[in-house]
Amino acid sequence: MARIDPSRRHFLRTGAVGLGVGVSGWFRQLALAADAAKAKPKKSCILLWMSGGPSTIDLWDLKPGHANGGPFKEIPTNAPGLKVGEHLPKLATMGDRLAVLRGMSTKEGDHGRATFLMRTGTLPLGGIQFPSLGGLLSKELGDPTNELPNFVSVAPQRFFNTEAFGPGFLGPNYAPLVVADNFFQQQGQTPDLDNLLKVRNLDRPADVSKEHADARLELLRQMHDDFLAARPSPVNTGHQAAYDRATRLMQSDAGKVFDLTREKASVRDKYGRSLFGQGCLLARRLVEKGVPFVEVNLGNWDTHGNNFDLVKGLCGTLDGAWSALMSDLKERGLLDSTLIVWMGEFGRTPTINPGRGRDHYPNAWSAVLAGGGIKGGQAVGKTSQDGTTVEDRPTTPTDLLATACLALGVDYKKSNLSNVGRPIPIVDKAADPVTEVLA
Amino acid sequence: MKLQPLFALALGLSATFATAADPKVAALTATIDKHLAADWAARGITPAAVAGDAEFCRRVYLDLIGRIPKAAEVRAFEADPAADKRAKLVEVLLTKPSHAAHFAGVARSRWLPETLTDQQTMFLGQQFEDWLRKQYGRNARMDEIVRTVLTTEVFVGQRGQFQVRQPNRPYNADQVAIQSFYQAAQGKPENLGGTVTRAFLGVKLECAQCHDHPFAPYTRDQFWQFAAFFGEFTPLPPSRPSFVGPTRPQADKNTLTIPDTERQVTARFMDGTAPKWTDAKTPREELAEWVTAPTNPYFARNLANRLWAQLFGVGVMDPVDEPGENNPPSHPELLDALARRYAECGFDQRVMIRAIVASKAYNLTSRISHPTQGDPRRFARMNVKSLTGHQIFDSFATATGVRENQPRNQAYYNPDPVSRFSFKSLFPDPPKPTETQTSILQALALMNGKLTADQTSLDKSEILAAVIDAPFLDTDARLETLFLTALSRKPTPDEREKLASYVERGGPSGDKQKALADVFWVLLNSPEFLFNH
Repeated sequence: MARIDPSRRHFLRTGAVGLGVGVSGWFRQLALAADAAKAKPKKSCILLWMSGGPSTIDLWDLKPGHANGGPFKEIPTNAPGLKVGEHLPKLATMGDRLAVLRGMSTKEGDHGRATFLMRTGTLPLGGIQFPSLGGLLSKELGDPTNELPNFVSVAPQRFFNTEAFGPGFLGPNYAPLVVADNFFQQQGQTPDLDNLLKVRNLDRPADVSKEHADARLELLRQMHDDFLAARPSPVNTGHQAAYDRATRLMQSDAGKVFDLTREKASVRDKYGRSLFGQGCLLARRLVEKGVPFVEVNLGNWDTHGNNFDLVKGLCGTLDGAWSALMSDLKERGLLDSTLIVWMGEFGRTPTINPGRGRDHYPNAWSAVLAGGGIKGGQAVGKTSQDGTTVEDRPTTPTDLLATACLALGVDYKKSNLSNVGRPIPIVDKAADPVTEVLA
Repeated sequence: MKLQPLFALALGLSATFATAADPKVAALTATIDKHLAADWAARGITPAAVAGDAEFCRRVYLDLIGRIPKAAEVRAFEADPAADKRAKLVEVLLTKPSHAAHFAGVARSRWLPETLTDQQTMFLGQQFEDWLRKQYGRNARMDEIVRTVLTTEVFVGQRGQFQVRQPNRPYNADQVAIQSFYQAAQGKPENLGGTVTRAFLGVKLECAQCHDHPFAPYTRDQFWQFAAFFGEFTPLPPSRPSFVGPTRPQADKNTLTIPDTERQVTARFMDGTAPKWTDAKTPREELAEWVTAPTNPYFARNLANRLWAQLFGVGVMDPVDEPGENNPPSHPELLDALARRYAECGFDQRVMIRAIVASKAYNLTSRISHPTQGDPRRFARMNVKSLTGHQIFDSFATATGVRENQPRNQAYYNPDPVSRFSFKSLFPDPPKPTETQTSILQALALMNGKLTADQTSLDKSEILAAVIDAPFLDTDARLETLFLTALSRKPTPDEREKLASYVERGGPSGDKQKALADVFWVLLNSPEFLFNH
């Protein structure tokens, strides 16, 4: 149960102090909520974030027979009527679990703004630190007493918009634990995937015994208590909280989840020996341990030139990893309780440019929902023959995020208190969820 | 109006910290003191006690040169009997190269934040920062710096790419460095206009890029009219972000077409006025003149407020780039006075620093002594502030003797965990230094990371090993040295007793050296080390 720190409460601005109920009421509500959370079956969300703007017209909504279609063919999936691009053959065998939303449409063609919009559900608005989806959902779904953090971010590339990857006004308790942070593979370099995906600095140095480590922490706590008493401040309180959580993580068995060498080589091969592939394997392991939100990043989708070769390569990585993830989850009985959200910040131009590339195109593109709470085997939304406009069921970012919330049993209209004192709903109340894809 | 007795005591007994040498500085300090005192009296606030020498010393080293003082520097300052030693210390620090380096780093983080993490533009940011450092080093006035940036020559090649050299002209490293400002913005007028308004004028107009600003009276048109001062940079179709420059010099340098529309706007300042366009002055020259005019209501105010925020952790107006009805300054007259004086002194940053650092508020302790000292916006107690990643690394370097091992150009791709660069990534600049929260990963890095591990080990450490090995020090002296080195103060009697007994019994394993290493580890992991207070 979280503490209300009196010093922090004292220093919040008036608007933000009003938690709505008196202290005793707040504690009781929290206790009741904690009991309720334990009673509900655990749900998880895995966000497969496609950084750079994936060419969805080549993956999910092909236009064969039109000049904009390019060289790729459509292939059938195991769901009658649902076709996908030829370079996703393994996913095609699981079409019955995929719901493709072909009507995605926004006005944001800039990487930074679009990344923020898709990951938080809103455009940046002066002063308000909007949380990313991971922060919002890990707060709703997570058990605060978990040894593992409730939000893990695998190999994020945050440079398009760093603010869109954090907990925003929800605060550091909802910040992600990041592994393989901002990793860029250099030419000719084989990344050390085993170590990249481990939590940095989880083990104490080899030459420090447990007795000394414990003694250090005890002395540190005393120093901290003295300092906090003399100089109450949010930064001090946050410091101790972080050290507590870090120590818990160190001391628990939970850290072993990041050790992928514990998996059979054949399993690791199935996911693919790429950062994304192994990241998906890590996501499965985290979900198995009850982590409610994991995001795995696959970048380099910004194919302004040589679109088709690059997309084919990316599909190879994506297809193997995602299908392995879904089949493993299914095998473990976890697919029904795990929602998978696949999206990027926008799609790409139907018109192919002179460099055989496609440029940014937010006006009509696709996202995919799969797994728990989702009625797969269908596509909702329809684009024009040339792929340039959405003709049926245009879907906004808030529609998509609200749908995801409902699939997870989360009330998206519920509000959190923002850093400017205004309550902000998880997803804008005006959202029109795509109920057709809800199971 | 009845003054609180403690407050009157503080006012009466505290020394003046301004040097008598510069009457301008002393006058501004007195103004700051007067406005804050009036506010405290009106609200019945009892300000904290005056900070002791050790506390002041550490604080001013971190604020002015970006690192904690060395043990010897603390000892020397404490021992100095001069009445005006605080002002003298400020003078010494202002002329150190590390002052220029620190302030250039902070400015670059504010002006070109995207270059901190974007691998493609990092080198541009670094070049620009190096140039800024030279300017701060010679105390170039802020208006001169901004004018130079805004009016620099920018070289664009035939295919629209930025160039660092024109044919038949010698390579000019300064010009290349300043041009980085434009390249980091990808040559886009909206990025340049947005940076100028946010960083130089203290108005975050970016919201208004696509629609009218929700909280302030800025419209979409106003944003694009301001961006039109950079109308000479027109992205080549198809528009694609690239730091090599999608630009084409155009004849009508002061107009631009709003993207996704057919509408063309002509450059206008934020207050709606426009210059009298002549051939003698380019739009950027007109912009530079307007921005840096002493009468510009935004420029001096923004610089003053941001400097205040840098020294106190929170601005007189905060957030610093969102002026408006929703965000009134905590001390409106104080901010007016600071702005006025900044312009009057010719935008001399060092004058402003001297005046603020000599104020009573800057010299207050951060130790709480009265419940009315709770609100960080009233400056009745020095705020506890988080440090930048660079300050943290440089302080570790000072406290432990660690050195970077990696050439700077390799740092971009495979940064050594023990490097300034890695610490900057691990500790990104917080939006609000008085509210920064430590993350699990930061805590793990501080506890178990290589820098701490090496520098608290008996065989790999620098300063710790020296302290342990020194034959002329006893346990008490060793502890005192470790405290002065890490926390810039001597241990309290209580700490001395507790920790001396811990070391004497050798901690849990009966090993005195390991016990000393434990103590050093504790000091380096304490919030007292990690924060500015």
